[in-house]
Amino acid sequence: MNPRMTRDQLLRRGAAGITLLSVPGLLAACGGGGGSQSSSKVNDVLNFSNWPYYMDTPQTLAKAGVHKPTTLQQFEKKTGIKVNYYEDVNSNPEYFAKVQGPLSHGKGIGRDIIVSTDNDRFLGEYISNHWAQKLDKSLIPNIANLIPAQQHPPFDPNRDYSLPWASGMDGIGWDEKLTDPVTSVKQLFEDPKLKGKVGVWNSMGDTLGLVMLENGDDPSHVTDSSFNRAIARVQKAKNSGQIRSFYGNDYATHLSTGDLAATMAWSGDIANLADPKLHWAVPEQGGIIWTDNMIIPLGGSVPTASTYMNFMYEPKISAQWAVGANYISSVTGVKPGAEKLDPKAAENTLTFPTAKTLSQMHQNDPAMLNNSDYNKKWLAVQGQ
Amino acid sequence: MTTVAEAVAPRAQAGVATRVWRFVKRHALTVYALLAVGYLMLPIAVVILFSFNHPTGRFNYVWNTFTFDNWIHWNSILGIQSAVETSLEVATLATLVATALGTLIALALVRHHFVGRGATNLLVFLPLSTPEIVLGASLLTLFLNTTSVIQLGFWTIFIAHVMFIVSFVVITVKARLIGFDRHLEEAAMDLGANEVTTFRKITLPLLAPAMLAAALLGFALSIDDFVITYLNAGPTQTFPIFVWGIARVAVPPQVNVVASAIFLVAIAIGLGNVFWQYRSAKRTRGVA
Amino acid sequence: MGGFFHRHRGVTPYLLLAPGILWLGIFFLVPMGFLGYQSLQSGIFPDFRFTWEFSNFSTALTDYHQQLIRSFVYAGIATVACLLLAYPLAYWIAFRAGPWRNLFLLFIVAPFFVTYLVRTLAWLNILADQGPVVRVLRDVHILAPDGRLLATTFAVISGITYNFFPFMALPVYVSLEQIDPRLLEAAKDLYASSFQAFLRVTLPLSAPGIVAGTLITFIPAAGDFINAALLGTPNQQMIGNVIQAKFLESLDYPGAASLSFILMGTILVMLLVYARIVGTEKLTG
Repeated sequence: MNPRMTRDQLLRRGAAGITLLSVPGLLAACGGGGGSQSSSKVNDVLNFSNWPYYMDTPQTLAKAGVHKPTTLQQFEKKTGIKVNYYEDVNSNPEYFAKVQGPLSHGKGIGRDIIVSTDNDRFLGEYISNHWAQKLDKSLIPNIANLIPAQQHPPFDPNRDYSLPWASGMDGIGWDEKLTDPVTSVKQLFEDPKLKGKVGVWNSMGDTLGLVMLENGDDPSHVTDSSFNRAIARVQKAKNSGQIRSFYGNDYATHLSTGDLAATMAWSGDIANLADPKLHWAVPEQGGIIWTDNMIIPLGGSVPTASTYMNFMYEPKISAQWAVGANYISSVTGVKPGAEKLDPKAAENTLTFPTAKTLSQMHQNDPAMLNNSDYNKKWLAVQGQ
Repeated sequence: MTTVAEAVAPRAQAGVATRVWRFVKRHALTVYALLAVGYLMLPIAVVILFSFNHPTGRFNYVWNTFTFDNWIHWNSILGIQSAVETSLEVATLATLVATALGTLIALALVRHHFVGRGATNLLVFLPLSTPEIVLGASLLTLFLNTTSVIQLGFWTIFIAHVMFIVSFVVITVKARLIGFDRHLEEAAMDLGANEVTTFRKITLPLLAPAMLAAALLGFALSIDDFVITYLNAGPTQTFPIFVWGIARVAVPPQVNVVASAIFLVAIAIGLGNVFWQYRSAKRTRGVA
Repeated sequence: MGGFFHRHRGVTPYLLLAPGILWLGIFFLVPMGFLGYQSLQSGIFPDFRFTWEFSNFSTALTDYHQQLIRSFVYAGIATVACLLLAYPLAYWIAFRAGPWRNLFLLFIVAPFFVTYLVRTLAWLNILADQGPVVRVLRDVHILAPDGRLLATTFAVISGITYNFFPFMALPVYVSLEQIDPRLLEAAKDLYASSFQAFLRVTLPLSAPGIVAGTLITFIPAAGDFINAALLGTPNQQMIGNVIQAKFLESLDYPGAASLSFILMGTILVMLLVYARIVGTEKLTG
């Protein structure tokens, strides 16, 4: 076990047992920040922070007709490394705000891997602030399986610090019991039958990306005027009561309960819901594609994290994960592997999008994501 | 009813009307009380009911079939068990420390006259009259500016919880101490016991129920706290923070299981207390 | 040791106070200083510098006066609603519940034992657009066919009312319970109607409970952000939502700190005014 965790837990348990907490104990615990020393040996515990519902579980595998241990269980069995899997990433800015304190002081955050999305400014911040450690590529021979499209992203041109966890697409989801198909942002924002039953995201890149495409503007090259056009359109739809609210992951619940008739939605989520009444489409004007990336924060064990990344880049493993988690893998050879596990898997165009769908995808402009003035205006629209 | 009464006994009108009015009033209030209790219980009933649901999809809001599975496999959701453990650890530690600190303050306030009494009262009162978001925010700015000494996590949550529980303990224990008969202690001292012995043999046993009540209150406050904890938790997850996170996607029935379990334990303690008070009330009446 | 206490009686209270007061001092008072320090800083995360930036306060007021006012309006309405709903219940328990008294008291505090977030999420289920409550209200035409309860001002205020109901009911009950029943009988002998007796005796005697209940309901309600976050929309955002988002999402610490100060300052001023009206001794007990 990670020695710091052990001591911390022991301290907590011990302290809970006795009547009063000893002052030296408290001080020791406060002082022991873990530092950023990276040992060269593989730990027997991996601490991993990820978004919720982003992993294959016995339930999701059973639904896909796969009767195998989860990829986490297989990893633990194969390597003897226990995984503490925390589903505590709810939004990129929120997670960043939580961990930036210790990281900015060169201290660890008790995690070996965290996940951050490339269409928010924070992934770049982790890397440029040197809060992410270099991967040990000698332990990741499977990095050769990374698809070419993901090999040279602008925030990490040589993939020295990050590896994709999964990709997903921005589009529109709707409930066929409550509305006809909703296939454009125009319809989403202007169809009177949808009034008060429309959701958009609280993340700027996703929402404004789709709106810009609707406006005929390029979301990957944002100007002040295209930004203002997009935000004015959102503001108008909000003021008229068309938009019910701005959502994080929780739009899925509201779509599922019928509180929302149509909403901007992430592709993988709709696949995850596996609800026959729910549909998802890329808007006629195109969608946005993004990728969540794994990084090793300061204080995390590089060898342990690298070992896990290598495991996940095994095509067979990634195939099982894709079948169980319903998101797009960045590993080559996943599709045949998935078909072997679940013959119907390849038909799921959300997990395995067609070439046509992919050709409709655009990426956000990093300059927009990093513009603090834009971010402020975006919060103001949301009443914050 | 009024019309019938009027028709039957016109002369006794005033008396009957008053009686009918009294009857209606009496029962209207009772009906209202039961309705109000129903309103208070409704969400709780929903929470407990859906802890036994076997949802068809990811979302646990439509009743499907009854199952005990969620209770048996309450920890099958990744992260829920460690979050519950963290909550219990924080609540236990914070309650113990806060009860000790708060009781001492209460003793000083009730038993002693000293310079700075008003200031102490004010210092105890202020955290209670400050919104949680401000308490949490101010502590967060302290921790953000002292990250070289302490990082957000388990111990910052602990510190925050002790801070806001102390005032509740002071108030609870103070209320009990004021109603105390000091003569018992004076008698003990007259009989030669020193202050420490008196405290141990007389004061502490008399204080124990109030301390227990304060501790239970503190424990309940700690285990339920979201706002202050959320701001000062860093990467650590307590149960409420776990719920906040998972509510963005789908609340699994296991969350209802944990919430129901906490509720049932608390209610069991409460019912035990009600029963005990009922019995001791009966016994005292019997003696008298 | 006992001898020590005898010889130094004057020191004893301070020794008793020291640990708790130190804790409150370091983790309540000192942080308030840090909050003030942070609120006067300028710059963009992570490079904040202390520059006596008083404009943070005026900016906060111009940008967020709506949310600030809304918080106090919502908290005010919820407090009144709590009082109106809780008073008859507390009255019934105090005077009519007989042997069931303690059991019903337990019912009042029961919501506290269900995790705050979980019970608010339960309302989300109960009030859902396709849920039973909305369906019935639509059928009886209280709601329009496409009307809704969730994501409205009504939902947010109702959520606050439910969540803080016990804060009002308990102190009101305590003050009612302390009223001597003989006093009520005497009052009924003196005044013609029992309503008058209630108005002239019961109500004034329960005033301390009402005062305490109003305070401990209003203060946390004004700072709440969970109900607006879960049951509301951007049009119902309260000041707590803004402070929370500034700390945890947009990383605007000076802005968040100045808003926190404004919130606390406004509440303290209201508290002082309230104290002038009802008398200080009723406030601190």
